[in-house]
Amino acid sequence: MVTYEPGSSLAHGFDPRAKLAFQGGFAAAAFTHVSVRGLAAATLLALAVLATARLSLRRVLAAFRFPLVLLALAPVFAAIQVGPPWIDLDAAVESARLSYRVVPVLLVSAAYVRSTPVRESRAALQRLVPGKPGRVLGAGVAIVIRFFPVLVADLRRIRAAMTARLGGERPLSDRMRIVALGGVERAFDRADRLALALRARCFAWNPTLPALAFRRRDGALCLASAALALSSLI
Amino acid sequence: MSTDTDSVELVGDRTVEDIATAALLAALTAALAQLSFPYPLSPAPVTMQVFGVFLAGIVLGPLWGPASVVLYLTVGAIGLPVFANGGAGPGTLVGPTGGFLLSYPFAAALIGAVVHRGSSLRDPATVSKPVLAGAMVAGTLLIYAGGAAGLMIVAGYSLSDAVIAGAVVFFPAEAVKIAATVAVARSGRLPSR
Repeated sequence: MVTYEPGSSLAHGFDPRAKLAFQGGFAAAAFTHVSVRGLAAATLLALAVLATARLSLRRVLAAFRFPLVLLALAPVFAAIQVGPPWIDLDAAVESARLSYRVVPVLLVSAAYVRSTPVRESRAALQRLVPGKPGRVLGAGVAIVIRFFPVLVADLRRIRAAMTARLGGERPLSDRMRIVALGGVERAFDRADRLALALRARCFAWNPTLPALAFRRRDGALCLASAALALSSLI
Repeated sequence: MSTDTDSVELVGDRTVEDIATAALLAALTAALAQLSFPYPLSPAPVTMQVFGVFLAGIVLGPLWGPASVVLYLTVGAIGLPVFANGGAGPGTLVGPTGGFLLSYPFAAALIGAVVHRGSSLRDPATVSKPVLAGAMVAGTLLIYAGGAAGLMIVAGYSLSDAVIAGAVVFFPAEAVKIAATVAVARSGRLPSR
């Protein structure tokens, strides 16, 4: 799993706002250039971005193995036809290209996650969105990022418990109800305890955010992001 | 370093609970989105993330429900793989399935407004089954309208193709999800706020 790790890499040194802009620009460019050349360029750029975050490709691929398997399945489904000639290779190639364009975007987002502490993402969001909505957004995003893996583990345990009691043989709607109800109960339980903990720690509308420094190289990265985003319009 | 030197402005007790619950529901939506199964007839994956959208409207109402869904979309947009099939990044929001995602907050608001009929929230267990089911059917139709529009704008589908590929093929799975959500809402195990 890829999470934030402190470090002194090039990617760590950039301002989170510039990195967010780059994510947007890169995704826009990668999603529109689906020719072989476009995909190759996106892949090379994504590998360079991984290098700036000193993140190994193998580790990222291992972290994203489930989405990657699902992306790999898409062309298989696209190729299968319900009538003769049964296999449509052109559709498979088209679907493979559309699936593959997601891979460089995943790599770049891994570099962001690896090099940006949640505190800084939150500070960037809070500075981009003014007023109380920005503060709710900042605090909420920090909480969601913290609890996402916890709730995934909750759901996995509920599923395992259900399967152990032969619940896997129940109809789909029963299985969905059991997993959802268990997940919801635990999530609300955690929300209650979290709200109590937040109040105990004087959860405020005006917390002190970490300082963000927008330097010249951040400006350069923003320009590069804008260029990437514009390239998708050509 | 810029530091706020004003006196600390505490968040009200009720709002703290709303923020915590909205954030946890957003995290639950993200976790449910990982429970997906590929569906050979359609380019978009079938997932349980819409379950989280339904619940946000039913439990949190027309104001905090959409806020919870917006949190979910924001976390995905800044790069955490929380969308269906581990999707992430701003690209997913502008991709072919972006129309579905961007219509979620509106669906949560619609469901919340129908179920709670105003801003004071009711206990979901006391709401009748037809109202719950009707609210979710309306929300689902809104999501599919947004999704079909997204397919047409981004991927160049024709209207009929977009409706078939983005909506009709999902109806059986949607009916199962709505039935399961009604059962969850009427179970009496959801908190009333």
